[in-house]
Amino acid sequence: MFLCSTFANTRSTVCRAGATDRHAPTREVYVSRLQADGLYKVFGRAPDEAVRRLAAGADRGELRADGTTAAVIDASFTVDPGQIFVVMGLSGSGKSTLLRMLNGLLEPTAGRVLFDGRDLTSLPARELRQVRATKISMVFQHFALFPHRSVLENAAYGLEVQGVPRAEREKRAVEALELCGLGGWAASWPDELSGGMQQRVGLARALATDADLLLMDESFSALDPLIRRDMQDQLLELQKRLKKTIVFITHDLNEAMRLGDRIAVMRDGRIVQLGSAEDILLRPEGEYVASFIQDVDRSRVLTAAAVMTEPERDGEGECDCPSVSPDTPVAEVCAVSARVPHPVAVRDADGNVAGTVPRERLVAFIGGQEPDDARPVPCAWAASASAKEAAHA
Amino acid sequence: MPRLALGEWVDSAVDWLQSHLSWLFDAISSVVTGMYDGISAALTAPEPLLFAGILAVLAWWLRGLLAGVLAFAGLALVDSIELWEDAMSTLSLVLVATVVTLAVAVPLGIWASRSKTVSAVTKPVLDFMQTMPAMVYLIPGIIFFGVGVVPGIIATIIFALPPGVRMTELGIRQVDGDLVEAAEAFGTSPRDTLLRVQLPLALPTIMAGVNQVIMLGLSMVVIAGMVGGGGLGGAVYRAIGNVDIGLGFEAGVSIVILAMYLDRITGGLGRQVSPLGRRAAAKARAAAGGLKVWHHRPRPVVAVAGVLVLALVAGGLSLFGGAGKDATAAGGDIGQGRKVTLGYIPWDEGIASTFLWKELLERRGFEVDAQQYEAGALYTGMANGQIDVQTDSWLPTTHATYWKKYQDRLEDLGSWYGPTSLELSVPSYVKGVDSLADLKGQAGRFKGRIVGIEPSAGEMGLLKDKVLKEYGLDGEYQVVDGSTPGMLAELKRAYAKKEPIVTTLWSPHWAYSSYDLKKLKDPKGAWGKGDGVHTLARKGFAQDNPEVAKWLKGFRMSEQQLTDLEATIQQTGKGKEQQAVRTWLDEHKDLAEKWAPAPGGASAASRNADGEDERTRPLNVAWFPWEEDIAATYLWKAVLERRGYRMNLQQFEVGPMYAALSRGQIDVQFDGWLPTTQKRYWDAYGDKLADLGSWYGPTSLEIAVPDYVKDVHSLADLQGKADRFKGRIVGIEPGTETMNILKEKVLPGYGLDGEYEVVDSSTPGMLAELKRAYARKEPIAVMLWTPHWAYDEYGLTKLKDPKKAFGGGDRLHTVASKEFPRRYPQLTKWFKDFTLTEKQLSGLENEIQRRGSGHEEEAVKAWMDRNPGIVDTMAPL
Repeated sequence: MFLCSTFANTRSTVCRAGATDRHAPTREVYVSRLQADGLYKVFGRAPDEAVRRLAAGADRGELRADGTTAAVIDASFTVDPGQIFVVMGLSGSGKSTLLRMLNGLLEPTAGRVLFDGRDLTSLPARELRQVRATKISMVFQHFALFPHRSVLENAAYGLEVQGVPRAEREKRAVEALELCGLGGWAASWPDELSGGMQQRVGLARALATDADLLLMDESFSALDPLIRRDMQDQLLELQKRLKKTIVFITHDLNEAMRLGDRIAVMRDGRIVQLGSAEDILLRPEGEYVASFIQDVDRSRVLTAAAVMTEPERDGEGECDCPSVSPDTPVAEVCAVSARVPHPVAVRDADGNVAGTVPRERLVAFIGGQEPDDARPVPCAWAASASAKEAAHA
Repeated sequence: MPRLALGEWVDSAVDWLQSHLSWLFDAISSVVTGMYDGISAALTAPEPLLFAGILAVLAWWLRGLLAGVLAFAGLALVDSIELWEDAMSTLSLVLVATVVTLAVAVPLGIWASRSKTVSAVTKPVLDFMQTMPAMVYLIPGIIFFGVGVVPGIIATIIFALPPGVRMTELGIRQVDGDLVEAAEAFGTSPRDTLLRVQLPLALPTIMAGVNQVIMLGLSMVVIAGMVGGGGLGGAVYRAIGNVDIGLGFEAGVSIVILAMYLDRITGGLGRQVSPLGRRAAAKARAAAGGLKVWHHRPRPVVAVAGVLVLALVAGGLSLFGGAGKDATAAGGDIGQGRKVTLGYIPWDEGIASTFLWKELLERRGFEVDAQQYEAGALYTGMANGQIDVQTDSWLPTTHATYWKKYQDRLEDLGSWYGPTSLELSVPSYVKGVDSLADLKGQAGRFKGRIVGIEPSAGEMGLLKDKVLKEYGLDGEYQVVDGSTPGMLAELKRAYAKKEPIVTTLWSPHWAYSSYDLKKLKDPKGAWGKGDGVHTLARKGFAQDNPEVAKWLKGFRMSEQQLTDLEATIQQTGKGKEQQAVRTWLDEHKDLAEKWAPAPGGASAASRNADGEDERTRPLNVAWFPWEEDIAATYLWKAVLERRGYRMNLQQFEVGPMYAALSRGQIDVQFDGWLPTTQKRYWDAYGDKLADLGSWYGPTSLEIAVPDYVKDVHSLADLQGKADRFKGRIVGIEPGTETMNILKEKVLPGYGLDGEYEVVDSSTPGMLAELKRAYARKEPIAVMLWTPHWAYDEYGLTKLKDPKKAFGGGDRLHTVASKEFPRRYPQLTKWFKDFTLTEKQLSGLENEIQRRGSGHEEEAVKAWMDRNPGIVDTMAPL
């Protein structure tokens, strides 16, 4: 089953590095690799009854009184091939449960999971295992490496389960390890590695089976911030080459913004907003999301394209002053803006001026205002005040 | 509170199990015995030190050189204190119990770890099994399996099972859920998850469970020793019985050495088999450094090679040592493969006797073919010479027509059972109906029906045409045509519901042994005279097979034997007739020899009823650590060994000893205090025992005090003096009749029961206490009996018993198994004539006492030297 993405139009606003090329090959036929369709997961008695009530608008609190727990309520989304789809939410929001329904580790109480057009929820156990063995891999928060197996045996596990002969599976496992930067560690044991390295083994194990879909369950949350950043970079790097479809769970909005092509924000079992990083940052739906994004470093997430305005006069920005590309993060635009006396020019790949970023606009933006509200105030002292403010920020 | 008859229920449940599932227990018993014998043979085959070497190499491999050296030293110590064989049989017992336990526990544990229901069900059961004192299991164990290693092993298994199950379940449940989820996420099937992830990770815990199973098994060996498990446990038990500190310590140390060895080895094994364990060990080795030699361990290949070489040497040695032992048993291959065809009619006695002879003839080397026929076909076949023999010919009446027709082509080898009879039978709970005449006017009770058999049977004709008419029942009752199995099924159903029923039956029939039935009397003789069951052969058979013809002519069975055999066949089930016959013959070992004697020689004097030399079979003698019994047993041992007998002495508690005697596992014991002291055992087992008469008496039971206690001369004098005796009367083994009489009759009889407490102990314990008190001149009151050497050793006052509360004196009897007089006619005569005077007995006891335990044989020899001619008096030739 092929589905044309209804989000194709919003894609143009995604201006992150590499994002555009990444999706180029599949742009014509918009195929969703994974589709969740009205998923519910209810633990406890009479789950079907609970689903009926939830569908009718009951909330989690009401059900909890009856001793049933609704972990996921009416979750629907699609993930396109090669996309990183991030599910973001605090603990208890149901994101891990949602993830486990995607590969059938948990059976949904209601709803369907379509993977390459096959309904996973209706597959018999044996075939479902087959899909998990060959098509869907998983990377875990606490690595879940087998302590009784060496790094190599861990990486080769998925292949071993499939019955791949030893020589071949070890070759492929070594390749996967090398891909994850663990070339010389095959003979080591998991407990001899640092956390980051262990998670790379976990990643190698997931990649070794050549599965198309990677489920990552808070995979970097247990790591130190620096290592976490490193791993995020490495994942993005890998993704450039491998172009897997990834569903990534996190509770860290910065991580979500950094990694996600599209982000679903979950609260109390429901998806409260679904969209790109900019969508969420610039157009948060509801107070919950809005309060969530307060701590996000907007200057690193938003790009020049999101801030720029049409050139006000012809020829503006046509000088040889430094310019930026549309996907330059706002933080870098600020650095440029500090050096040029006029609005910074934004040039597309062909060198044409796509727009300009006036300094006051930049400052207002970082201050948390929507670009459209950032009207310059016509007082001389006010301009200098806002310059101070910008320096302060 | 009403008294719940819980004990009785359990009792009757055990009885029921024993009578209905004896085949199962026999099967279990033979499997366990087989395993035990196999392992034990393997362990005792090599030279002790060589085998110690093998075990040491194993320890070296698993734990390092130091462990290997220590293991060798420990095992060599066991060998040097001459407990090697005991240690090996203990090891066999523990290994068998462990193997069986694990075979049950690990799968059960896995199951419990995967199913909450199973876990919830097993938990209380396991708790029960583990907390019930293990000795309790011995009681039904003895009933089901007799004495020996089997009840010990079974009790051990039950006792050791719970930790095995628990640790397996725990180990698997402990495995990190993330890892299981990870395995599932990669599409691992449940089975592979178990094998590749859960079991390897649970292995350390499971091995800890194995270790516990083995340790619990070792802790049970002493208890197993109480029921004849032998080995180190038996040695400890003997030591307890004799208060033999030396032996107790030696056996105890041997158990400790075994325990340490097994503990360390299973620990090491746990590390070797689990990948995690190997990792940890490798790390530890890397960290240790220094003193490397002690931690050096051979590679597995080297270790296996070492064990193999030693084992080969051991095997080679025992091969040479064991050569020539394998002489063919007596029994004689008389048939030499000649073929005999038996034909039979599917009547119960026909099946029984045919398969009996099939088995007997096969044992004698014949090739036997048994075929079932219709009566007519059977006679025809015999007349034509196609069938050699049939054993179920009812003559002269029932099969008269066939006999008349073919008699000139048949040979009658005589009747082996008879007379038979035809009858109507009712269950015994049908009151008021004892004869055929009583049936009149009772049709309402029986629904007007008489349950018949095949309408073609002669008996049915007789019943309808003659019997009913004769008693005027023909209008009242209807004979229901059916079949023999149908009639029996109807009988079974009605019997279970206690409904009145009249059935057409005949004797012999197993129904009489399975149900309590009344044969209705036939005062008018309407049924006619009974047939005999004859064996017929084709003409010329006796000439071709003179031995077989001779055996068949001599063949007789009693009703008891026949119905018993029929019932055995019935219980074993269709298609397994010969197996049933084998079981039955095993229980009646001498009958095979009697019916189909194999030629062989023995001097006439000591030939038993089966014509065997009674000295060929070792005599199993039970004894308990009472002085007069030690004396009599060792005396007879010395005497009989001079007469060419071999004796196995086994120490027992009184209860198990009587149980074993009644089952024929023990042949004889000399210390039957009858009629009083051992009354309860005699009541329970007397009908399965033979009393060979008394050799000493009368005895008496009494309470004795040292003679320095001046003012106490009779039991009545004890009153009010409890302070001086610390309120205690030192008793012997609890549960003995002596103690029961003391507690229930004597103390109340003299009003002492509030004042004194009887301390349960053991005979040696009581004597040790007496010795201690006597040395310090402390007042003490002990339970004693005459004869006893203590009266010679110490100055003691027997307290008078004017009220005769202790009852009359017992005499000491020689008690033997039921079969004993037939099997051992010569011994029976000697034992019956055996008597000792008080002087002789106390002299012998004193001699034994002086030389100390472990030197009984020397003491007996010394005493016999002082009593020349005693051998000829006791065992005249």
